[in-house]
Amino acid sequence: MTIEYVDAGEAIDHGALSAITGTAPAVATNVNYDRLLDARSESHNWLTYYGAYDGQRYSLLDQINTENVKSIGPAWMFQAGTSGHIAGASTYAFEACPMVVDGVMYVTGWDGWFWALDAKTGQQLWRYKHAVPFDVSLCCGNVNRGCAVANGKVYFVTPNAHLLALDATNGKVVWEKTTGDVRAGESASMAPLVIKNTLITGGAGGEFGVRGHIDCWDLETGEHLWRTYTVPKPGEPGSETWPADGEAWARGGGNHWVTGTYDPETNLYYAGTGNPAPDFDGAVREGDNLYTDSVVALDVDTGEIKWHYQFTPHDLWDYDSTMEMTLFERDGKKLLGHFDKNGYFFVLDRTNGELQHVTPFVDRIDWGVITRDGKVTPRKYPDKEGEPVHFYPGPAGAKEWTHAAYSPRTDMFYVPVADVGATATRRRREFKEGMPYWGAAVQVDIDDMAGSVSAFDSHGEEKWRWRLDYPMAASVLATAGDLVFAGTPTGEFVALNARTGEKLWEFQCGSGHHSSPSTYSVDGKQYVVVPVGWGGWLEGIIPGMLGAGHGSALIAFALPD
Amino acid sequence: MTITDEPANLLSELGLDKQNHATIGRLLGTGSIARATERADGTMEATIRIKEDEVAWDPAVLVLPHGGDLELTVINDDKNTHAALFPSNGDKKFLWLLNHSKGRAKLNLDGPGYYWYSSPGGNDEGRGLTAAIVVLGEVPPEARLDRPDQQRP
Repeated sequence: MTIEYVDAGEAIDHGALSAITGTAPAVATNVNYDRLLDARSESHNWLTYYGAYDGQRYSLLDQINTENVKSIGPAWMFQAGTSGHIAGASTYAFEACPMVVDGVMYVTGWDGWFWALDAKTGQQLWRYKHAVPFDVSLCCGNVNRGCAVANGKVYFVTPNAHLLALDATNGKVVWEKTTGDVRAGESASMAPLVIKNTLITGGAGGEFGVRGHIDCWDLETGEHLWRTYTVPKPGEPGSETWPADGEAWARGGGNHWVTGTYDPETNLYYAGTGNPAPDFDGAVREGDNLYTDSVVALDVDTGEIKWHYQFTPHDLWDYDSTMEMTLFERDGKKLLGHFDKNGYFFVLDRTNGELQHVTPFVDRIDWGVITRDGKVTPRKYPDKEGEPVHFYPGPAGAKEWTHAAYSPRTDMFYVPVADVGATATRRRREFKEGMPYWGAAVQVDIDDMAGSVSAFDSHGEEKWRWRLDYPMAASVLATAGDLVFAGTPTGEFVALNARTGEKLWEFQCGSGHHSSPSTYSVDGKQYVVVPVGWGGWLEGIIPGMLGAGHGSALIAFALPD
Repeated sequence: MTITDEPANLLSELGLDKQNHATIGRLLGTGSIARATERADGTMEATIRIKEDEVAWDPAVLVLPHGGDLELTVINDDKNTHAALFPSNGDKKFLWLLNHSKGRAKLNLDGPGYYWYSSPGGNDEGRGLTAAIVVLGEVPPEARLDRPDQQRP
């Protein structure tokens, strides 16, 4: 018997079953390197990941200020939710920093999502969804921290290590590259950075024993221009800091998974690198293990490492140094400030890497000591097989990836501080490609923790501290309105007086914060926008909040009309 | 259960692969496995089907030799209406499947890795209408790490 089937036709885009228009104004067409060099002066926009190449996360906008911030409220919200079976369904989070160009907001999400929104109303204009394999290797969470915008395109990476250039008017793919090997355990989550006519990316996978690298691509074609591995091969400079025999270097980690900063005058890209692998078993990788836990200053034209500074030699605590290298000037000197996982604030000369000073920025540090001249002495670390060792800070560090801000008005750094310890027990394991390669059993404390938004002058002296009962796990934003905005793990989004730390405003967003707020204006009205969606590597950052709910909201705040 | 029981026998003995037998629905992943056909131009094709009263996709696991473009013929042989929501680079793909209907879906997927897809109505997903597309292979040579080949599990 022949069955006569009803014709079901052809499958359609899921987004056609929504109210999205499918197109956005062509505001990104004229975003180019010249504008990015002067991004801060376009205070109505947030053109690049940190607001400007210097990494300061500081805006000149001051319509919202200490006098009136108590009156701001939600102007609009965007929510995405999640459905079906996704990779890391228990660990997805909204970690992005929204970019804004002339009234259009570009924001990335978990699991290959990219949304273009009307920045005035929150209306969704177009969306892109990359199909991410369910079984992709993720150490920490199904997340993405943002995109880059230039030449009519937006650029972002996916958890399965693809780099995409989309048409900024409609989200269609212009070009695509595979940047990493998922079978090796590689992934990608950082916002790329546009420099000149190129794009810089890094990747993740230090917990799987990959070999970290930083890549450069042509903006228009995606042609791969250079790759710099952060762990040298035998015979290359730095290889003397790895065992001469064996393949520890091949599995050395050192991943660049947070966006770097850039100085056009030095022509250097300042990239932070992650932990060596295996994270906690140092005996299989004797030596300082360059260039893990370092800042490497790369010539942007060639990728050559011009200088480096290692914050934690021979790391045994998972103290990635990937976080921002904030560029600032003092007494005519070009400097770089970095608040490291290891609990210390480093200031370096960014022309040559020379240490200026190093000071602690968290109360509890007992893994080791770093003296003012930079000498590192480890004290407590996993060593004997099966013997638990407790240390502060834990592996998420005194400051995880979430970013500090610097205000040139106050000459202060504002830092999201985390104070929680952990116990690591060395459990040696052999290397097998694609398998987690930590070398220890790790448990972070679920109590006896603290946190703060702390203000430091550039010499590391603490000026004020706004305390909370939980480690901070979201980025800080500073503005010329003398305000510091920060979101807490329990959902409060607060505005603090940048000079005194006094809390001036608070709004309960309904989910813990683990993202980077930004600020912009449209038609003369200033907005502060924050993604709110708890998740990510909670078992490392705050296991005491592992049971809290996820979220997927983007909230824009403004003064009433 | 003793350690000498073979899981496959226990599966059918208990009726884990049937609706409203061992449990309310059919346990996911308890169906057949099939390979897609590769065409001369490297694109792939396959037929997937919802059989009558199984509330499950057949095959439960569709295997592609590599990533790329896949053309599916999608058939609903059931006496009830379902739908299909597939992963695909760009946007998920939705297909409404009336009783005894037949349609098409063009997908683009990366490899290696596997993806779940489902019928997104009611609790079709939980009753059994969730299946996998597995993509075999390696990443392109230029995406491989510059290091000696490493031992895998």
